[in-house]
Amino acid sequence: MTRRSLLPEESILSDDFLRELMNVGEVDILIGVPTYNDANTVGTVVQAVRAGLLQYFPRQRAVVINADGGSKDATRDLVRAASISDLHHPSGMTALRTLHCISTQYSGGVESGKALHTILAAADLLRARSCAVVAPDSIHIEPVWMKGLLDPLHNSHVDLVTPLYRRHKFDGLLVRNLIYPLVRALYGKRVREPNPTEFAFSSRLAVQFLNQHPWTQDAGRDGTEISLILTALEQDWPIAQVFLGEKSRTEHAPTDLVRAMRQTVGTIFWSLEQNFSAWSSRSGSSPLPTSGPEADVDLEPIRVNRKRLWEMFARGVAELEPVLKSILSPATLAELQRAAAKEEEFHFSDELWVQTAYEFAASFHQEVISRDHIVQALVPLYRGKAYTFLTENRDASGEQLEAGIEALCQTFEQKKPTLLELWEGTK
Amino acid sequence: MPPSQDMLWYKDAVIYQVHVRTFCDSNADGIGDFRGLAQKLDYLQELGITAIWLMPFFPSPLRDDGYDIADYRSIHPSYGTLEDFQNFLKLAHQRNIRVLIEMVLNHTSDQHPWFHESRSSRDNPKRDWYVWSESDAKYRETRIIFLDTELSNWAWDPVSKQYYWHRFFSHQPDLNYDNPAVREEMWNIMKFWLEMGVDGFRLDAVPYLVEREGTNCENLPETHAIVKDLRARMDREFPGCMLLAEANQWPTDLRHYFGNGDEFHMAFHFPLMPRMFMGLKLEDRKPITEILQQTPSIPDACQWCLFLRNHDELTLEMVTDMERDYMYDEYARDKGMRLNMGIRRRLAPLLDNDRRRIELMNGMLMSMPGTPIIYYGDEIGMGDNVHLGDRNGVRTPMQWDGGWNGGFSTADPENLYAPPILNPVYGLQVVNVQSQKRFDHSLLSWMKRIIQVRKSMPVFGRGSMEFLYPANHRVLAYVRKLGNETILAVNNLASSAQAVELDLKSYKGNILIEMFGRNIFPRVGDLPYLLTLGPYQFYWFRLRKI
Amino acid sequence: MWQKFINDLMLASQEIISEVAKFLPRLLVMLVLVLVGYVIAYLLKSVLRSILRLTKFDKLSEHAGATQLLNKAALPSSTELLTRLVFWVAWIGFLLAGASVLGIGGMQEHVGHFFGFLPRLFAALFVFFFGLLAASFFSRAALLAAVNADLPSSRLIGITVRTVIIVFSVAMGFEELGLAEHTVLVAFAIVFGALMLGLALAFGLGGRDLARKYLERRFLHGENEEREDELSPL
Repeated sequence: MTRRSLLPEESILSDDFLRELMNVGEVDILIGVPTYNDANTVGTVVQAVRAGLLQYFPRQRAVVINADGGSKDATRDLVRAASISDLHHPSGMTALRTLHCISTQYSGGVESGKALHTILAAADLLRARSCAVVAPDSIHIEPVWMKGLLDPLHNSHVDLVTPLYRRHKFDGLLVRNLIYPLVRALYGKRVREPNPTEFAFSSRLAVQFLNQHPWTQDAGRDGTEISLILTALEQDWPIAQVFLGEKSRTEHAPTDLVRAMRQTVGTIFWSLEQNFSAWSSRSGSSPLPTSGPEADVDLEPIRVNRKRLWEMFARGVAELEPVLKSILSPATLAELQRAAAKEEEFHFSDELWVQTAYEFAASFHQEVISRDHIVQALVPLYRGKAYTFLTENRDASGEQLEAGIEALCQTFEQKKPTLLELWEGTK
Repeated sequence: MPPSQDMLWYKDAVIYQVHVRTFCDSNADGIGDFRGLAQKLDYLQELGITAIWLMPFFPSPLRDDGYDIADYRSIHPSYGTLEDFQNFLKLAHQRNIRVLIEMVLNHTSDQHPWFHESRSSRDNPKRDWYVWSESDAKYRETRIIFLDTELSNWAWDPVSKQYYWHRFFSHQPDLNYDNPAVREEMWNIMKFWLEMGVDGFRLDAVPYLVEREGTNCENLPETHAIVKDLRARMDREFPGCMLLAEANQWPTDLRHYFGNGDEFHMAFHFPLMPRMFMGLKLEDRKPITEILQQTPSIPDACQWCLFLRNHDELTLEMVTDMERDYMYDEYARDKGMRLNMGIRRRLAPLLDNDRRRIELMNGMLMSMPGTPIIYYGDEIGMGDNVHLGDRNGVRTPMQWDGGWNGGFSTADPENLYAPPILNPVYGLQVVNVQSQKRFDHSLLSWMKRIIQVRKSMPVFGRGSMEFLYPANHRVLAYVRKLGNETILAVNNLASSAQAVELDLKSYKGNILIEMFGRNIFPRVGDLPYLLTLGPYQFYWFRLRKI
Repeated sequence: MWQKFINDLMLASQEIISEVAKFLPRLLVMLVLVLVGYVIAYLLKSVLRSILRLTKFDKLSEHAGATQLLNKAALPSSTELLTRLVFWVAWIGFLLAGASVLGIGGMQEHVGHFFGFLPRLFAALFVFFFGLLAASFFSRAALLAAVNADLPSSRLIGITVRTVIIVFSVAMGFEELGLAEHTVLVAFAIVFGALMLGLALAFGLGGRDLARKYLERRFLHGENEEREDELSPL
């Protein structure tokens, strides 16, 4: 047997996995589930996926593919157990077809890029007409999400479906305050969740992205989901947004902010380098075809330690002065320092935030210092913006919250010429 | 005068289903008859079948294709005389072909003298032979079978001013089996034919014999008791004769009709047939393996009857709603092809006249556990005519050659009981026995070959069955075993080439011999056995330890 | 007497003339050497400059923070600095070689020393330069990590990392030069030891708080103030 003859560099697909894919054969729908030690939630998720496929796509050939980062718990068994095969018949009497749920472990530890790479490679090999990715920890997932994600691909010539969720008003602060407005201003399309955990795409987009993404380079390893969205934006693939339902990540382990920043903002900055001609020529923004409410917000009050946010911001601005000096213009830095002096009067204005973000992007492009350090240096400043956001929206209604975000987006769009000047180094 | 004395002959049988009217007309009146049928026995012998199942040929107003019988002891004049029948029976037996006939127990025609008497007045001695009621509210929980034509199971008789019970058409009143005189008379009729030499009966509409308030009036214990009684009498007086049940039921309900081997010898496996078509369309073996897993084991002497198509519609009663919708969409997009709860089409048109799929379906039919039934004309791939009403579209004249009326009759074409198929794809010019006889690769020649291969090994009819579950769900594989004979059947349900790895560990060391060409395939080793199959391809292997 | 004077004078002048005649070709050789040396050094400088430009050496040193360091010291860019260094070393080498041709006593020995010392000098400079680069890079990494992990006195951590690495690289550089090995080693040991002690004390004293916080969070969660982490950024 030559099972282990393939090195990971040569192929993302192991021989065993390939054998399983052979047995699955051509499919119409492929659902990818990237996991790592998700035994607590993955069972619910896969059952909902299965129910969704049965209910809404009973005639389609479908497969659930689990790309696992080396779980030590029962994650993979739970996924496999959701198969509808002729072997255990009591479960699947209502299903027309066999539903394969297969699991593979990629080598080299958890890496969202490798997981998506595996899913895309499988989709290409199985010639799946449409694919969806779901997060293994989406405990609020409903079978109808499958319909929501996949229907636009089948019915309205859309190549990418991004989600909309009902979220708590203080959830997803980085998305609301930086990622969404930045992507919107740069690429001219209003994608509310540019870094989704649930999304769907057509086979054409999958194959295109699979072949052009630098999978083996450092830049291609992380933040692959947002890369896919940015690629679709850059190349003007038709995109639609679909409201799915409630989404809350607060139940889970706290996210590492630096890592989140690298994955998202780092990837966006990096994409600017590659796609200069695409984003530099666009101005303003247009809404996407959307089904369901665009922003449904949960207003239930929660307690937040804003003081700590403030402290980390103020200390960051003070301590990082030598680093910020090489990234920011003297004027911006001075303004930041002035702002960071007193908590009571502190207000991180939209203009200052946008200016800061654009100067970071330009410095990233010019590589004034190590690019990773630039991204890291943005973290404390983001905390300051988050502090302002929390303070301003303490008692805000959903509409007020939306209006605030819309205003920030407008500022990002209006100040886009600044970025272009900074980019060329004329300022 | 059975051709061989083997009591289990029906297990090895290959049955050919035919209606006298449709097969061959010897007297140029446009209707097939027993003399014509007798002339074609050589053809049937050459085909290799071992039994003929004749659909009703009794005197009848023919409002339900003969299932509305007006006289149980005679032959419909269009088909000939009792002597013609006896002669046909003798000739068939000479060729080792057994003859099964229809016995419609449940109901008669409203033209039957019994019903005439019964309805004549409420105190007629035959009044009790049918089920009468003052109200049409009795037995409400009973479903209506012919949904497209009937509104109720009760019909008003204006003569005697009462309702009579009918499970099928209103011109087919149900006999009252609570009446011992009825039961006795029915046995006497069966005896009449058995004494003449027929080898068995297909009992029509068995589940509906007895009615009881508060039930759905199907599969009642009283019904089973009646069948047991008939069987006991037959075993005593005519050993070696066979009873075949027509009961469109789920396998677990059907199981009761085998009793402890003291009711029916055989029963149709209705739910399997639509699932074979479904599995083929889905390219997924799941529907087939699932239904066979749910099929209970039956007594040793009993046997399932398997078929792909018959004179009725492809029934979709024994499938879920989702499956039925799928079948309609895939096989009967045109609403005209649907009837009651089924699809009224022949095998070849259902399979888009695709020779590979026709062969695969026949291959599965012949290798799954049970006795196969071939519907007349399907062995040459005849087409249908959905514009003939009811189920007559699949009951058109047999196509013998490309000449006058396709060789069926020398009558004027307008005098035929039904127009022959004339379209450019399935018409008698294209699809006929004579042209197919000339070529070794024709469907007819292939059918002869597969019947021959099947008959060469009793394991096909009598062996056990065990599914292999290769991970490739498009491949249906099973092992049939009888004593030390083992056969492996591998079927590719997909329209594309497939690779499959079979777990044959328990057959390690065996050599595989392909049964059609007798070629040797590699010996089974420790590794999974790898096979590649072309689109819709199937293999039959004999496993031999040498 | 005049005769003798004149004779002596003649002899002397003959000697001078012959000495000069003997010296002139050497001088000429020396001048040629110096000239050729200048040309070669100049060529070396140009080649090196283009190589460094091609490899974007400036960017590299900028990332590492060496450029800012040089700026602070009012020195030219790192490429310029390196090429000039190479130019001067090469030319001085030729000057010395030329001087030795003149046959001035003791010169030969010095020249030999100089050439023997050259590789060591380069190695030491190399170590020192990359030490600076590394110090700058890692101190910034430490600073960012400390700030983002909300550690107190992040700047101190950054400076400490920088100091340790610079001291270490200086020590290595001197070791390479073969100068005052022991002194440097001892000095390094003292600085390093002091730093470690300081750190140990700092962490010991400050860590008490940290440990208490950690334990509280671990066992008394619920009615806790630490809710910020539960806000998900994404």
